[in-house]
Amino acid sequence: MKHSQDLLLDVAETLLTEEQIAAKVAELGKQISDDYAGRELTLVSVLKGSLPFMADLMRRITLPLRIDLMEVSSYGGTATESSGLVRILKDLSAPIDGRDVLIVEDIIDTGLTLNYLIRYLKGKNPRSITVCALLDKPARRLVEIPLDYVGFEIPDAFVVGYGLDFGEVYRNLRFVGVLRPEAYES
Amino acid sequence: MSEEESSRGPRADCSFAHASEAEFARILDFYQVDWQYEPITFPILWDLDGNVLESFAPDFYLPDLEIFVELTTLQQRLVRKKNRKVRRLRELYPALRIKLFYARDFRALMVKYGRSALVSELSGTLGQVMPHSEADEYGLPAGPGGLDRSNATDDADPSVPGSNPEQGPGRERRSRAARRRATRKAAAATVYAAAT
Repeated sequence: MKHSQDLLLDVAETLLTEEQIAAKVAELGKQISDDYAGRELTLVSVLKGSLPFMADLMRRITLPLRIDLMEVSSYGGTATESSGLVRILKDLSAPIDGRDVLIVEDIIDTGLTLNYLIRYLKGKNPRSITVCALLDKPARRLVEIPLDYVGFEIPDAFVVGYGLDFGEVYRNLRFVGVLRPEAYES
Repeated sequence: MSEEESSRGPRADCSFAHASEAEFARILDFYQVDWQYEPITFPILWDLDGNVLESFAPDFYLPDLEIFVELTTLQQRLVRKKNRKVRRLRELYPALRIKLFYARDFRALMVKYGRSALVSELSGTLGQVMPHSEADEYGLPAGPGGLDRSNATDDADPSVPGSNPEQGPGRERRSRAARRRATRKAAAATVYAAAT
């Protein structure tokens, strides 16, 4: 992988500005606050890509809530070589039985990871499980999973920034941009 | 998730027609999505006597998700025929859900999983699995992972052996067996059609 020292040079175009993201996150936060009023909400963020979204979203929700973090191994990672199966790299730190769980995801494309995660979390007997995704890329969908809260539906392009990476780089961009093909083509 | 579910492992006993299909199966295994490889062949064209002239076997069926998946990682100009078959399939079996994965989709999947370097060898002509003798004959590499295509179902037009431009030189030889399989599976497909 060959990324520039100035990451902005690797971005072909800005898809979502910092301001657009902030406005959408505020809108989602209000909607979630209204929908979950009086209930026991736990936000579950899926590392690492959804961290910035989680941090912003939780501050836009006006209800008392808990947060928790999970990490799931990705295909092609080191875990592939050892087991050939998806693994929970970091599990929840507190029980969720009887609680309303809102999974916070940065992006849903194939839906494979989310499908696995929902099946896993259902085994922990939560009262409900819903999904909030900042970005939805339906063109890539393989597993149809209803998304309860969606920030933006985006075109079929390789996007980075606001937590989204390529090879662990670009997560710190404050906006979502389309990566130049030269940056990921070998 | 039950212990039984979490202990499901990758399947090593399946032969694929193309390296991209094997890689796709590994991805499904990784995420513990159950799959079947070419489980059914759908007749899509009949003659006036009701004999099947053309059939189509989608690459994968994901039973838990109730969706068929067809991978098309060959050159775009060769995809037209497959697009036509999928359209026909949807017309004849409207209740059936099928997702067509094009070369660009597969490439994006590989990039996402940090396997972009493998794209060229897993897709296109190079990804077609050939026995070693044929690979030697045509100067092409044999497919990875010891795969063979003896279990592959041909989705070419069975009335015109070897007419499919996607077949390449090594695929003609299996068209007769594929036709026999297509005929056997046609009955099953008819049952499916009646049920839906």
